[in-house]
Amino acid sequence: MQLYEKLFYEALKIRLLEEKIIEVYPEDKVESPVHLSIGQEHHIVSIMEPLTNKDIVFTTYRSHAVYLAKGGDLKLMLAELYGKQSGISKGKSGSMHLCSPEHGMMGSSAIVGAIYSHSIGMAYAQKIDTSTNNITLCITGEGATEEGVFCETLNFASLKQLPIIYIIENNGLAINIPIEVRQSYTIEKLAKAYNIEYHSYEDSFDMLTINNKFSKLVTDMKKSPRPIIIEIHTYRYLEHVGISMDYDKGYRTLNEYEAWYKRDPLVLNETLIKRYKNKIIKDIDDAINFAENSPSSFKDELLTDVY
Amino acid sequence: MNDIIIYKNAIKNSMHYALEKNKNSIIYGIGVTDYIGIFGTTEGLEQEFGSDRVFDTPISEDAMTGFAVGASLGGLYPIHIHIRADFLLLTMNQLINSAAKYRYTYGGLFQTPMLIRAVIGRSWGQGAQHSQSLQSLFAHIPGLTVIMPSSAEAAEKCYKYAVMHYKNPVISFEHRLLYDYKFNKNSSLIDQNNPFDSYLVEEGNDITIVASSIMVQEAIKASDYISKYENISIEIIDINSVSHPNQTLILNSIRKTGKLIVADTSWLSHGLGAEISRMILETDVTLLKKPMKNLGMAQATCPTAKKLEYEFYPNLKDLVVSIYDLHFGTLKGKKIPSEEEIVYQYKYFKGPF
Repeated sequence: MQLYEKLFYEALKIRLLEEKIIEVYPEDKVESPVHLSIGQEHHIVSIMEPLTNKDIVFTTYRSHAVYLAKGGDLKLMLAELYGKQSGISKGKSGSMHLCSPEHGMMGSSAIVGAIYSHSIGMAYAQKIDTSTNNITLCITGEGATEEGVFCETLNFASLKQLPIIYIIENNGLAINIPIEVRQSYTIEKLAKAYNIEYHSYEDSFDMLTINNKFSKLVTDMKKSPRPIIIEIHTYRYLEHVGISMDYDKGYRTLNEYEAWYKRDPLVLNETLIKRYKNKIIKDIDDAINFAENSPSSFKDELLTDVY
Repeated sequence: MNDIIIYKNAIKNSMHYALEKNKNSIIYGIGVTDYIGIFGTTEGLEQEFGSDRVFDTPISEDAMTGFAVGASLGGLYPIHIHIRADFLLLTMNQLINSAAKYRYTYGGLFQTPMLIRAVIGRSWGQGAQHSQSLQSLFAHIPGLTVIMPSSAEAAEKCYKYAVMHYKNPVISFEHRLLYDYKFNKNSSLIDQNNPFDSYLVEEGNDITIVASSIMVQEAIKASDYISKYENISIEIIDINSVSHPNQTLILNSIRKTGKLIVADTSWLSHGLGAEISRMILETDVTLLKKPMKNLGMAQATCPTAKKLEYEFYPNLKDLVVSIYDLHFGTLKGKKIPSEEEIVYQYKYFKGPF
């Protein structure tokens, strides 16, 4: 499979899974909040592609895309969302806290700024282990950068020259509040203030360009470890939490959405969609069946793993 | 003299042991590598083990606590030290939302072992934000282990155990006034297999004192004081782990004596006394023959003025009076410690720390 097709396939898998969740959600089989990744799949698969399972990723509650792109299993994920014993975390984490330690995905936090600091701890462990050259990725929205801990970790990452990449997904929204109401700064200037290398990827839909630039950066970083910030401009199609569009709520316009949607390769590239859709749908249906037929979390799980 | 060890040297021994025996351990915090070296407990460690494993940090308590979570997930054993426990309030998001929850939320896929050492200040006008005993805040949270080593033996054995065997975040509150206390090096009150467990300090039949941290030493002093004048048999239990107390040990003692004093270093409401009361009331409401006595800080912010500070903290006299009251129901004709005897230990403690 060509590189582009491979990236497209992974992104389409995420899109179709999220659409399946929208379809089944009204049945109340997923009895918890879901923060869907629709609109933000493309760049995630592009940046996960060059990483190994030893390269570590932390992300936020909007974790579906990262989980799947990092190698996570559909069945385990859906069983987790369905609250089943066979889920990733035996039904205890739900949609907001997906992880896949064997693929280097070490957790997802609903307290978004928290992972900046988890990431510097992990990157420090990687740095002082001189036998490896693994790196840590920390993926948040631009809203999380407003938490004070962001600056605290920029300082430390720069001070110790840690092998960490901050991926800032700038979708212009934190919950329902636009960036103009929230930020007096630019990420670029903050990066400069802390002597950290900064890159901006202007179009999150451009999977090949992002993959190409990012792969080179990773290769270079593994030779010369240092912190890097990458800001990716992207767009969230759906409401902050839940399965609906919310363009009637007045805080953003349908025009804004349409400008992105009409360029969306996961909509436009009919050839590749036709080529892979049926196979992916089958995998997703299998995973749904697995989740539905698995037993609920066992009662004795309630007090298991408490110290 | 060879049989004597002071508290801070026991801690220093355990820190050295940690770096030597657990190659993944790191020690960091504000002041860890300065000339004070957390009152001597980290002195010389950077020189011996290198700056990758022993280092000072930016004034960023929040980030450096989340750092511990990430470092722990990455296979390190972080020991993060706060020269005053009050700074833990800046770390609560990380300790409660992340460290305490990582194992459970992910269904046991991860563990985040770490040791957080925090020093409780007292005397020489530590005041509002350098004196707080915050153990109950943290002990309330499932997933955190909170200990308060009251002796050199407890500190050394608990820390060595934490570093080598315990796979959960441990928050340890060390009392600043204990740092120069002298202890018997050969003391063996701690259970080797479970050093965090509550344990018997003195055995007795008339009154049970359940105490934490420096109040254990105060209870021993009260018991010694009274033994000179009266024949009262006092049982002293060191709670040791505030979050995981030994309920059987405590209730059996109360069943035997029927009289209870809880002596904690913190405020009374929602505190250790409240927790012991819960144990009793959920088990057998008839266990107590008399209302319990609850000693702790006055329900106010810690004042700086020395006169007020004396009033703020429970002291030897409060303990002695409580014991007489429970045993005799009166103070009439009883020998009560003089001001000089009460303040003796604080009199020679001078700042700035």
